[in-house]
Amino acid sequence: MTCHELDERLDDWVDGALTGAEALAVESHLAGCAQCRGRERQLRQLLAHAAALPRGVAPPRDLWPGIAERIERGSFWSALAASWHPLVLAAAAAVVLGLSMLLWNGSGPEAVRTVAMPGTSPSLRPVTVTGIADPVLAAAARDYEAAATALLEALQRRRAALPPEDLARVEANLEVIDRALEEVRQALVKDPASPELNRMLVATHRKKVDVLRRVVRLSTAL
Amino acid sequence: MEGLAGVASGDARVLMSEDHDRRAAEMRLVRAAQQGDLLAFERLYRDNERKVFGLCFRLSSDPALAEELTQEVFVRAWRKLGSFRGESAFSSWLYPLTLNVARSERRSRGRRDARIVATEDPERLERTPRAPAPEAGFDLEKAIATLPKGARAVFVLHDVEGRTHEEIAAMLSIAPGTSKAQLFRARRLLREALVS
Repeated sequence: MTCHELDERLDDWVDGALTGAEALAVESHLAGCAQCRGRERQLRQLLAHAAALPRGVAPPRDLWPGIAERIERGSFWSALAASWHPLVLAAAAAVVLGLSMLLWNGSGPEAVRTVAMPGTSPSLRPVTVTGIADPVLAAAARDYEAAATALLEALQRRRAALPPEDLARVEANLEVIDRALEEVRQALVKDPASPELNRMLVATHRKKVDVLRRVVRLSTAL
Repeated sequence: MEGLAGVASGDARVLMSEDHDRRAAEMRLVRAAQQGDLLAFERLYRDNERKVFGLCFRLSSDPALAEELTQEVFVRAWRKLGSFRGESAFSSWLYPLTLNVARSERRSRGRRDARIVATEDPERLERTPRAPAPEAGFDLEKAIATLPKGARAVFVLHDVEGRTHEEIAAMLSIAPGTSKAQLFRARRLLREALVS
């Protein structure tokens, strides 16, 4: 066995992976070659060194606060997603389906009034709708509008606490609901007496309030 | 009269009992964390942070990246905690998760080349946390950090962590022969560093 051949087998030798004739050949070469014995000693020294390294190394700083923050934020969004998306989808689906049937026999437009909260982004403005014929439904819609306004104000106060990307997601999803409300409102001005449209408007308001309530409650827990 | 074998056997029983108690306590924490108890999960984190950070640090050779990876490991562990059934120790369950995080990080981030260049910066290595070197004049942690990433991963897993080539091959999705070749390369480079 040459020194080069031994060098090729040295790793297997120190790992105890050689047996029989190969092991004997290595042993024999090492007995007569001081240079290769030096290499073997060096490799064993390196491996002992590596095995002696502690498995654990302390992080230079406490990493837990960052982990806890991400977990809590993740819980916030997963809780929100679990409750929110079905509501948004249900609202949007109901509006699209309802409107496609009701607008088949549409009527003329009427005035629509929108009230903006000063200093807020468009998606966080409360929307006030007129034109509900049924007085009971009209009262319910007003109650929901008032609740939505209060919740939007609460959310406004939490704006600074919410990470910008999270706030953007809240706004984007509220826009979906507001678009649904706008669709119903446009249909209502054409056919204010439609009981289906009246009920749809109130139901969409209720969904918006439900979603806002969840957002505010969960954002307060952040 | 109780002989040495009897004493040794008694010691083994005590150790087994302690290990059983430790696993039972750990499983109680896991169950609490699975129910949403973040304080219980923090205890699990405190018990395992050094192992996870140590592995992340040695695989990445970058202390700042190792911090990010460690955080990512525990965030993912929290999300996947429902799948932990207690068949193994919690640290064993974390091990492949840690490797996956380290590997996916390497694949997904375009800053890999920057990291490698930064690792060659001697001042950066001076700031890295490291274990005390048993032999004066040779800092193995520092030398490991200079290895190419494939060779470094196999060396850390085989010679520091004590894994077999078959285990490494399965964990890194490589052939056992590739693992052996990378180990050979790593040891060769480290031996050169040892004599220089």
